[in-house]
Amino acid sequence: MKNKTVILGCGRLGASLASYAANKGLNVIVVDSSKDSFDRLEEPFSGFTVTGDATDTNLLEKEAYIQTAQEVIVTTGNDNVNLYLAHLCSLVYKVPRIIVRFDDPKYEILIKDLEGVSAVYPFQLSYESIVKLGEAEE
Amino acid sequence: MRIAIANGTFQAAYLFDIFKKAGHRVILINSSRDDANYLLRTKHAKVFVGNPWSRHVLEDAGVASADLFISLCDEDTDNFASCLVAKKVFGVRRVISLVKNPQSVEIFRKLGIDSAISSTYLVGQSIMNESSVESIIKTLSLENDKIVLLEATILPRQKIAHKKIMDISFPKFAAIAAIYRNYSVIIPNGQVELYPKDKLLIVCGKEDEEKVLAYVRDEA
Repeated sequence: MKNKTVILGCGRLGASLASYAANKGLNVIVVDSSKDSFDRLEEPFSGFTVTGDATDTNLLEKEAYIQTAQEVIVTTGNDNVNLYLAHLCSLVYKVPRIIVRFDDPKYEILIKDLEGVSAVYPFQLSYESIVKLGEAEE
Repeated sequence: MRIAIANGTFQAAYLFDIFKKAGHRVILINSSRDDANYLLRTKHAKVFVGNPWSRHVLEDAGVASADLFISLCDEDTDNFASCLVAKKVFGVRRVISLVKNPQSVEIFRKLGIDSAISSTYLVGQSIMNESSVESIIKTLSLENDKIVLLEATILPRQKIAHKKIMDISFPKFAAIAAIYRNYSVIIPNGQVELYPKDKLLIVCGKEDEEKVLAYVRDEA
């Protein structure tokens, strides 16, 4: 399966991105420990869902085919899990493109040396938007 | 040495005692107030309360001055994050993590954690060591499995029995560090003869372990 995008964590963000990528015609595999979380995916969803712990290397290798992924998006609800997965995907699986979400912007220093990893900080983005809105008012 | 211990209840208390007895300074950090109170009550030790992966908690605790950081969180990913913060942000030279999943032992090492310890992994290892006792050989791994110390008992049928060390071509990549015979220790030189029932302590690199074992076991 070429052009594969693996999405770890099917919360609101993960599910929306999975639906978006699948609609764009990419091959998508989305992993979450709770089966119910896949209800968030847009119907019909053309990708694959895998229920289980995303930190389990057996599952990542044999069910999510992480070794051949073009791109991994890490959006579980736990910053430490995301941090671990970003390191694992970069250092062990050498995934070319890794995008990871952190609630805490202080995690930046912990991933800055990792090959292929970019991070997104929703807190930072909200903060900047709100400050900008405030400035526009003035 | 200064040693920081992150989380853990009984484990932290136990390690605290060992390190104190050995004359080290111990910094305790715990994310649970109950566990912190337990350590305070039983060990009369100051405990910094907060998540050990949080930068300001480790800063308050003075982790930057620690030589060793040990993480005993329940979740493997929390241990990984704590060790990474200790190492990358505070420059702690050596970090050790407890891990629940034995698979994580290898992965943590690949991810730059100096040592990862899993009780299940250790049980597995020691069972494997037990089973090699049957073949009269015990091994102890040092320096993250790079150096091994082998304990081999000489059997009468083995080629090296009843020979002087100088007369056997003992592999160059290994050394007989000591011989245990009749309750006494002999530091060997070439003149020493090897007898059945001698216990040899052999030091070698992990990669040569099998070759050394094959050499010792070789039968006449």
